Amino acid sequence: MSANDTQRLIAAWTDGSISREDFAALEKILRNDGHARSLLRREANLEVLLREGASMDAQLGAWHENSASAPPRSIRRRQSLLWAMAAALALLLCLASFFWGGHRESQKNKLVQQPTEETNTGCAILTRTVNAAWEGGDTAKRNGDTLRAGPLHLKSGLAQIEFFSGATLLLEGDAELEIVSALEAVCHHGKARVRVPPPAHGFKLEIPGMKLVDLGTEFGLEVDRQKQSAEVQVFEGEVEAHPEGGAQVNLKKGEGLQSQNHALTRLASVTPEDFAGAEKLDSLNAAHTRTRHAAWFDWTERMRHDPRLLAFFPFQPQNEWDRFARNAALPEDPLKNGGIVGATWAQGRWPMKNALEFKRPGDRVRLRIPGKYNALTFAGWVRVDGLDRKYNALLLTDRYDSGAPHWQIYEDGRLMFSISYPDPTQPENQKAKRNQIYFSPVVFNRSETGRWHHIAVTYDSQSGEATQYLDGKEVSREVSLFHAPGREIIYGDCELGNWGMPTEKHKFPIRNFNGRMDEFAIFRAALSPQEIKRMWEAGNPE
Amino acid sequence: MDNPAPHEPPPEAYETFVRLFVAHEMRLRSFLRSLLQSWTDVDEVMQETSIVAWRKFSQFDPATSFMAWAAAIARFEALKCLRKHARERLVFSDDIFDMVADESLAEADALERHRAALKDCMEKLDPQQKQLLRVAYTPGVKFNELAAQSGRSVQALYKTIQRLRALLLECAERQLRKGAAT
Repeated sequence: MSANDTQRLIAAWTDGSISREDFAALEKILRNDGHARSLLRREANLEVLLREGASMDAQLGAWHENSASAPPRSIRRRQSLLWAMAAALALLLCLASFFWGGHRESQKNKLVQQPTEETNTGCAILTRTVNAAWEGGDTAKRNGDTLRAGPLHLKSGLAQIEFFSGATLLLEGDAELEIVSALEAVCHHGKARVRVPPPAHGFKLEIPGMKLVDLGTEFGLEVDRQKQSAEVQVFEGEVEAHPEGGAQVNLKKGEGLQSQNHALTRLASVTPEDFAGAEKLDSLNAAHTRTRHAAWFDWTERMRHDPRLLAFFPFQPQNEWDRFARNAALPEDPLKNGGIVGATWAQGRWPMKNALEFKRPGDRVRLRIPGKYNALTFAGWVRVDGLDRKYNALLLTDRYDSGAPHWQIYEDGRLMFSISYPDPTQPENQKAKRNQIYFSPVVFNRSETGRWHHIAVTYDSQSGEATQYLDGKEVSREVSLFHAPGREIIYGDCELGNWGMPTEKHKFPIRNFNGRMDEFAIFRAALSPQEIKRMWEAGNPE
Repeated sequence: MDNPAPHEPPPEAYETFVRLFVAHEMRLRSFLRSLLQSWTDVDEVMQETSIVAWRKFSQFDPATSFMAWAAAIARFEALKCLRKHARERLVFSDDIFDMVADESLAEADALERHRAALKDCMEKLDPQQKQLLRVAYTPGVKFNELAAQSGRSVQALYKTIQRLRALLLECAERQLRKGAAT
């Protein structure tokens, strides 16, 4: 074979036109001729450069000036390079958001340290909603939920969806959206405003009659199933529209395109004011927040009078450096004010509401609760930022003496209530104890990080039954095997968010809570499930 | 104190990775292009490689060569891709695949110089020639469509492009020889 033949074969292989016979010949040459292999690599080098060069700025104009027909598909490769990277990473995020989790030093992201890593699959996050009603009622979506690929039906209200690629979509109900990936969605019905930052260039949106490829912009779209119409309006930047069976149209700022019964119409003007934007969401959100906060405040004013309250901490400081967690239960009993150590004031469930933030190993609220009781309820709003310890304190008595309750979150995300009494089979041994431990199922996992939850536990020393609740719903109800009726509950010195007096040589003395607390109530009675549910409803931030 | 959203990658590792990957992207693409016949496959394997590389990035020892490390992943992904498409594509037999890949890594630096030389040579083309190559190699463009639009025969267009390619390769060789001589 001549050098010419080799070159011809390599060229044919490179451009994909090689025949089976020629391929066999090429293989033979490559197997035996190092120079031919080197030539192949140089051709590959050239290919990469040519393609890259073409990609850098596919200015097709000059070549097509005289041609009225559609240019070859113009793919903006300068962006495409970034886009491919973004797409690959977006895909990564979609596949498994937490594969790096195990290698981090930081405690912050480590909600649970488990041998098998928790995964969280999804393409987008539901970041904000206002009066949103979703198809499916009770399984409704909440702010912060990760959205997987699949259909979404927003019956009414507003919802902001942030794709992992960076694109943001503001949906107005009634709307039906289908998430395909972090870079792609289909709108079947309804109105939406889409904003695409540079890393998400190439975000694709399909509406009936056309596909839209975003080149970095803000645009609105409206799909009306009854009228069989779909339209796109560009408010900023540029959008590539690919109508079904029509030529590609590049829409610039102030331009729009409508498709109705397969007929296309260019829109001469756009009406951005018709599409709800971030500002509208902000103002609605602010109004909603004020309403929710006011409703909660009214409820606390009634709640303070509940005679069953031993202490009630709404966590409303008088100033930034207030070191008291004030007991709001009536009649006033300043002796039950808590002393804040370390923990700092931070934002609570609403911007106008404070919470106590516990971060460092020393952070805590000291309490003293005298007396003996027959039942209890602990209830509060918490935001768990991490489960750094084997036991993560909620409310712990200093001494784990007979009848002293402990409530904490176990490292795997289960609520854990416990109370111990002397072992009746060993009356001579003062130290022998029977530990009544009540676990809920796992209620906190990484997806719940940074989200406000209402948690509660009730315990009745007559029945020995402990019931735990998450967000107003019962998650566990149990009577301990070791239960004997009529034994009293005591507190004495105790702490929120930490454990003050670990027993000597205890294996797990450090139990500081990592997160925020916004409201904590201690009752002398076991509240009913209905009452717990009402507490959750009254304080629900959303 | 803000709690970072759980889907955010650790920023330092992410940045390091993206920087390294982008810096080696051309080398990796060239490496893959010598092993895979179609751009579709190269793009697919590049994508897979970036995913796998990121996933395994904690195992990468910064004291070693990123190219060697990433190329090992790319090579494995390329093999997987070839196996998948073995029926509908003409696929190099394993011995050739291995030879080309090994040598490609061994002469990675020479290939880098070759690319630089090619770039210089491309600058020497006249604007029309440059434009033609740009259009012809834009992803998704088909030679026959392009020929139809430019009013040439496919054959003529193909020949023009081949001639330009040969010119560029020769020019690069000359340049490299000249560089070696000085």
